[in-house]
Amino acid sequence: MKQKKDEKFTSIRHIQEGFKKVGYITSRQTATTVYLAHHLEKPILVEGPAGVGKTELAKTIAAYLDLPMIRLQCYEGLDESKALYEWKYGKQLLYTQLLRDKLDSLVDREDSFSQSINKLHAYDDIFFSWHFLEPRPLLKALQEKDGTVLLIDEVDKADDEFEAFLLEVLSDFQVSIPEIGTVHAVTKPLVVLTSNNTRELSEALKRRCLHLFIPFPEPALEREIIRVRVPEIPSNLAAQLVSFIQAVRKMDIKKVPSISETIDWARVLLILHADSLSPDLVRDTLHIFIKYEEDIRVVEDQLHQLTANAARAF
Amino acid sequence: MDRVLEDFITTLRRSGVRISVSESLDAARALQLVSYDDRSLLKDSLYVALAKSVQEKEIFSDCFDRFFSFDFFSEPPPNEGSHKGSTEGLSDLSRMLMTGDQPGLVTYMKEAARAENLSDIRYQTQKSLYAMRILERMGLSGLDADIRDLYQAGAPSSAATAARLEEARSYLVENVRSYVEEQLLLFSGYEYDKMIEDYLRNIKLSNLEQRYYHQMQGIIQRMVKRLNDLYSRKRKPARRGHLDFKQTIRDNVAYQGFLFNPRWKKVKIEKPNVVAICDISRSVSRLVRFFLLFLYGLNKEIIQVRSFIFCSNLAEVTGIFEQYPIEEAVARIQAGTDIPVLLARTDYDRTLRDFKERYLDAVTHKTTVLFLGDARNNYNNPQTQILKLLSERCKKLIWLNPETKPFWGTGDSEMLRYAPYCHVLKECNTLNHLERVVQSLLKR
Repeated sequence: MKQKKDEKFTSIRHIQEGFKKVGYITSRQTATTVYLAHHLEKPILVEGPAGVGKTELAKTIAAYLDLPMIRLQCYEGLDESKALYEWKYGKQLLYTQLLRDKLDSLVDREDSFSQSINKLHAYDDIFFSWHFLEPRPLLKALQEKDGTVLLIDEVDKADDEFEAFLLEVLSDFQVSIPEIGTVHAVTKPLVVLTSNNTRELSEALKRRCLHLFIPFPEPALEREIIRVRVPEIPSNLAAQLVSFIQAVRKMDIKKVPSISETIDWARVLLILHADSLSPDLVRDTLHIFIKYEEDIRVVEDQLHQLTANAARAF
Repeated sequence: MDRVLEDFITTLRRSGVRISVSESLDAARALQLVSYDDRSLLKDSLYVALAKSVQEKEIFSDCFDRFFSFDFFSEPPPNEGSHKGSTEGLSDLSRMLMTGDQPGLVTYMKEAARAENLSDIRYQTQKSLYAMRILERMGLSGLDADIRDLYQAGAPSSAATAARLEEARSYLVENVRSYVEEQLLLFSGYEYDKMIEDYLRNIKLSNLEQRYYHQMQGIIQRMVKRLNDLYSRKRKPARRGHLDFKQTIRDNVAYQGFLFNPRWKKVKIEKPNVVAICDISRSVSRLVRFFLLFLYGLNKEIIQVRSFIFCSNLAEVTGIFEQYPIEEAVARIQAGTDIPVLLARTDYDRTLRDFKERYLDAVTHKTTVLFLGDARNNYNNPQTQILKLLSERCKKLIWLNPETKPFWGTGDSEMLRYAPYCHVLKECNTLNHLERVVQSLLKR
């Protein structure tokens, strides 16, 4: 298995092509980062505007390596019991009830108190063992035999405390469970963290990761993405729509359209059997990639100009 | 780790990218994987291993391009190829110049630069010194000797070679100079900024020149941001309470003891409550300006401020800060627009009486009163009993005096008479002093 994995990471070009096969077009920068992440056994911290395919990157790596992906969605208030492990309290309680009857037979009535305690000590600490442990995403990722891709999504949404807690997992691929001890990774997972920059992440976390910033793609790259994701679309329409979107991104609006929205728009245009952009068509489908009333007004004002410019793109 | 990477990391650090040891080790390991052969691949790899934020990435790109630039000696040396003189008996350097061996020259120059520790260069004035030393190490004296020998040989062909070498010499000097210049920019840019900042933090505000105001505001903003980050984070856990058992039982007696309505313990967050009374006469006005920038830069969440200014009389200016953005508000106060304050002689007598009559209820046992002034009262009644009253009423009375200690109590200064009623009395005339005061307010 390890060998097979190494084979997929022989060169950067190899990775880029492999990603393309599973439908993810990537810049060389991204491919290089994945290549280094595998060889240096480091987590990748991905930052960038919303909708440039940060989460998609993790999914793609998983698909490319043919490994399961384990996802941990972060939010404010996320804590160990939801991220790492929890004791199965219900099961523990149930077993205590069942075992109470058993207790009489274990301990003789004639025994003194210290004798009964000693007898009980001879048994393991069964209630705090693996049988009663409910693994959560992080622990699961460490236990996976063939390795896995662990996605820690939107880590900036979690609290500082949780970030600090992640450090142990990220640098040594191990976690400490007080009742059991330290659990090491069976096979080191490939970790991808994503952040939307709602707050500055701590230095300590950044230090442990390779830092990848994915910006909005260049026109050529975006055309390529459209071509792969929506293969039926005529190439001149794809060029027009990409140039339109790129122009909109430069405008002063509240929320700029993301790549996923470009893809959505391409699909819609395909369903409408459009073969080129016209102002009316754009006006009718504008809401697919622009999500605010004010933004729509801003774009509509310059609609004719924008479509005319886009029509020139090939 | 190899020397080139080490130098590059030093350069990045100097330019303001923070790189830890573990990160430089990562970079070295990445380098083993990708090697120096492919420049853009090298850039991509170091990019993700060393630069960890958008700003750092920008600095990185810039540094990388300059550090690994090889476009020195790119224009061919003059007269190249016009006639091939013999290169026998010449020094290495002369031979390289004669044959136009560009990569050789670049490598040679870089090695010499490294041996001379060019990365230590800091100031404009060191430029010629370093250029000279590098040239020396590259073998300039050998080149000069070659030229001299050739001229002395007397043959027409050797004279021509000598002339060519002489032109090549100035070409060499020029290139080394521009290389040194480039490196100076690379190594010293950030250092210079830092030096200015250190200087500004410690300079007496009254001596500050107008042209630094803008930079000053930048520095204050950074300091304030740090304080905000530091103290708002601390307050967060206080909002998460445990179950308050006593309170819960008491509240649920009405429901026959069923725990119907759980109560949570709350740590009450006390914002520091500050009343700032500032002298805006000319001797203190600059200090006040920066102090107010500081105080109002802090989050409303972590501090509560009422501010008053005085000169010949007293007026409240809290409203101005609510109406206008901070910088404009400070400018307005400085100019005295729309504020009923007489800018004549400073009068602590009238000021203190004004405060007692109109605003005494602003001071409670939770309030910290901050006085900013030099206590130069123009021989009026000092009204120490009012200050005593304030001091007894408030939690803490802090007096910040921009004058240095030996001047307190001289002439018309009433500082020593006020001193017994101040809980804290400090000399305060630089940004660092101000920061410390504000920090002590927040820390408690």
